[in-house]
Amino acid sequence: MSLQRLILNLHHFWADQGCYLAPTYDVEVGAGTMTPDTFFRVLGPRHWRTAYVQPSRRPTDGRYGENPNRVQKHHQYQVIIKPSPADIQRVYIESLRACGIDLRDHDLRFDEDDWESPTIGAWGVGWQVMLDGLEISQFTYFQQAGGLEVSPIPVEITYGLERLEMFIEGQDDMYNLQWSDDVTYRDLRLAEERQFSEYNFNKATVKSLREQFALAEKEAQMLVESRLPLPAYDQCLKCSHLFNLLDARGAISVTERVKMIAQIRTLVAQVARVFTAPESPAEGAA
Amino acid sequence: MEFLLEINVEEMPLAHVRTALSDMSEKLAKELAAARIPCEGLRSYSTTRRLILTADLAPGQADRDELITGPPKAAAFSADGAPTPAALGFARSKGVDVSALQVVQTEKGEYIGVRKAVKGRATTDLLAKILPGLITQLSFPKMMRWGTGTLRFSRPIRGLLCLLGGEIVPFALDGLASGNRTTGHKLHAPETIEVRSFADYKTLLQERHVLIDAEERKASILAQISALVAPLKAEMYPDPALLDKLANDVEAPFVVMGGFPDSFLQLPLEVLSTAMREGQKLFSVVKGGKQLPLFLGVADVTADTRGFIRTGHERVLKARLADARFFWEQDLKSGFQKSAPRLKQVLFQEKLGSYDDKAKRLEKLAAYLCGKIETCKKAAELSQAASLCKVDLVTDMVREFPSLQGTMGGLYAKAEGLPQPVVRAIAEHYLPAGADDASPASIEGAILSLADKIDSIVGVVGTGVQTSGSSDPFGLRRNAQGVCKIILDKKFDLPLDRLLEKAVSFYGDKLKLPKAEILDRLREFFAGRLRYLLDREGIRYDLINAALGAGLDNIHHAALRARALDALKNGPQFEPLILMAKRVNNILAGQTAPAVNPAHFVEKAERELYATSGIINDNVAPMIAKGDFLQAQKIIFRLQPVLNAFFEKVMVMAEETKLRKNRLALLQSIRKAMLQIADYGQVVVEGEKGSR
Repeated sequence: MSLQRLILNLHHFWADQGCYLAPTYDVEVGAGTMTPDTFFRVLGPRHWRTAYVQPSRRPTDGRYGENPNRVQKHHQYQVIIKPSPADIQRVYIESLRACGIDLRDHDLRFDEDDWESPTIGAWGVGWQVMLDGLEISQFTYFQQAGGLEVSPIPVEITYGLERLEMFIEGQDDMYNLQWSDDVTYRDLRLAEERQFSEYNFNKATVKSLREQFALAEKEAQMLVESRLPLPAYDQCLKCSHLFNLLDARGAISVTERVKMIAQIRTLVAQVARVFTAPESPAEGAA
Repeated sequence: MEFLLEINVEEMPLAHVRTALSDMSEKLAKELAAARIPCEGLRSYSTTRRLILTADLAPGQADRDELITGPPKAAAFSADGAPTPAALGFARSKGVDVSALQVVQTEKGEYIGVRKAVKGRATTDLLAKILPGLITQLSFPKMMRWGTGTLRFSRPIRGLLCLLGGEIVPFALDGLASGNRTTGHKLHAPETIEVRSFADYKTLLQERHVLIDAEERKASILAQISALVAPLKAEMYPDPALLDKLANDVEAPFVVMGGFPDSFLQLPLEVLSTAMREGQKLFSVVKGGKQLPLFLGVADVTADTRGFIRTGHERVLKARLADARFFWEQDLKSGFQKSAPRLKQVLFQEKLGSYDDKAKRLEKLAAYLCGKIETCKKAAELSQAASLCKVDLVTDMVREFPSLQGTMGGLYAKAEGLPQPVVRAIAEHYLPAGADDASPASIEGAILSLADKIDSIVGVVGTGVQTSGSSDPFGLRRNAQGVCKIILDKKFDLPLDRLLEKAVSFYGDKLKLPKAEILDRLREFFAGRLRYLLDREGIRYDLINAALGAGLDNIHHAALRARALDALKNGPQFEPLILMAKRVNNILAGQTAPAVNPAHFVEKAERELYATSGIINDNVAPMIAKGDFLQAQKIIFRLQPVLNAFFEKVMVMAEETKLRKNRLALLQSIRKAMLQIADYGQVVVEGEKGSR
């Protein structure tokens, strides 16, 4: 099997579960959780089911393409179902079978692991799902997002696609994975990992990153005041990614780190409040 | 009748399972007692997916007579004995004839009343009322909601099985109805089964790969492990916490043994075992004190016939160990001492600056402590350890495995050839990890740990964080307990106030609260932690209070005083002395007196008391100075007979002011002497206990 076949299997499976398949979001994010298809869907009372692939960038995890397990950009398969169904664990297990994993021969465990994201003011309760000792998914019942209690409660399932495919192919090196039948992960991603590691760690212009951060923050504030939460949130995501880049450059001092995270969190909380305000047009339009 | 309850949940953490079982058992027993339902053999079982209670209950409450009182007799019957409207109304409201009324003697006088036979209610009805509340009132450190429900619990509840005598006890919880069904192992027997009794339940589940008894699962794990390692003449490295967790987390325990390449054995043992334990919950295998390139894992399956589980773990572990080796080599290359300046980049607390600032304070505080502690001979090494003890926070290894903090510092310090006392102090300075954990073995480690903890406590409290509250996000309680434990274990005589003042002063102007307020808050806080430790030693709370009432500045001495009281509490001299001390307290209450003037004594008994107490004081002082409170207490006992004679012969509250004041002054000085040992007034003696 190949990674793209895995994605197709998951797409089929979750589409059959009534999920709308969202296109990959076009702003850099650190995790699938951060995209609008999760962040805004979990807020407010409306019921939603969605699934999508999200490339997730974590500049500090870059290893110049030399580590078989760590990369500065990996791919998450993100599922949000609100409200969480009573049989969701069973459905999740079915999804693994749909990916061709014969669970009779394997050890599948839901291991306590609560999730929290200070930047977007979100936390939840759940597990890391371990398959023969390998973490393949994060399974979380959201409790808060944007600093607000969520209701009804959504369940979030995040599959680490590279991990899962390594498991399926019995592969020790991520770069040896098949993306399609005749294209490998190495063909597609090695140069990118090398170049972006170089950029993230050594070349990114700190001064420019700081200026961009300040601009995005200002823009977000203006948009919050204009009661336009959706574009305001994009600017928050930009802040978050710029912060991660500055962090990878080792440019953030102790006090600055605390301050910048708080700045983003405050903005995101404002976005969440504007979005959920009764007079807001956003929920209907979203 | 046999009662059986199973709450089917999604995977609950071990700590939550434990709380739930003990709280539910306790509350159920209490509720049943209140409902007058006899209950025997209440037992609990669990897996990470099931909370189980079973017991033998009476089928219902016993029938009984109930006495209902009405109006007073005087208002119920007129002078000629005829019932008044009040009596008639009462009888009507209770559905009886007025002739059934009888006179009842109560505390308030004679009333009329009626006896009615009350039919006992069926246990199943009572359970149906009790159980929903019992479940919804359970509380966990972190609670969650799910779906559209409003219930808060540890993890989602997915099923309720509840039987009494084989019949369903019907109740509902957040839209879920109780029944007689459950399911077997999540992957290997997920189909629904019907249950009639506990024995039935246990057997059906066992056939469906679920062992409901955690002890049985633990025994099975250990038996499988010894079968695997015995042929190698090796053993599992004991890890009780991991064993408990794994026994909770699986319903069908199956042990797999696998290996990793020999080359990784070059890594320090601590690194290997942490990578195995924390990353993948694997046990290490040792032989003659040496680590073997093997691991033991516990899976939730019935077999690993194709070896997928073993090879899966091997693959993941190999990648983890490769990472660990990369970190180890990387950190060695960066250099431990050379990395110290990077502490400037690591935040200690938001308002308290970086770990570099902290390290500088620790050097000063450790130096102060070393000056106060006689056995501290290696001031230079201690100072070096203080400056380096936090450096491992910037290493890749500790960033990956935070629990290795301290340990890695010690290993890297050793790798750079630093002296043994420095290495040990760094390695030990986070100890003790809990009330049952050992304090640092080396004196330098103990001092550095004290300095680190006190600095943290003073800083956090100084920023205005409250010491009360059930959660302990800043580790205040843990740290204060560590301080008390080290002081007790190491028998350090330290003036707490002075120590705290020093720690405050090293913060300069960083703290929000003034020094006096920080000290006020911390005295009571430390007292609380010391009380907790002494209570764990089994010392009565009133003895602890009495000992602490005599002062807390020297924590070691406060504990010795409590232990002395505890050792002597059953002796014949103890209670008479307490009663005498209470008498002295009573007579002195609200009185003031100047200093004693021996010229004003008139009675022989008061002169004798004065003389004896002087001698006793002289004898007690050196005992107190050297901390021998057992001996000091024994000497104080001698006060009792002379005080007794004094009270018998001498009128303290004499008419003449001069005599009275002088006698009060004498008692005052004696009380002061006794207060060096304990505030005896706080000791509870027979006859007083009921009123507390």
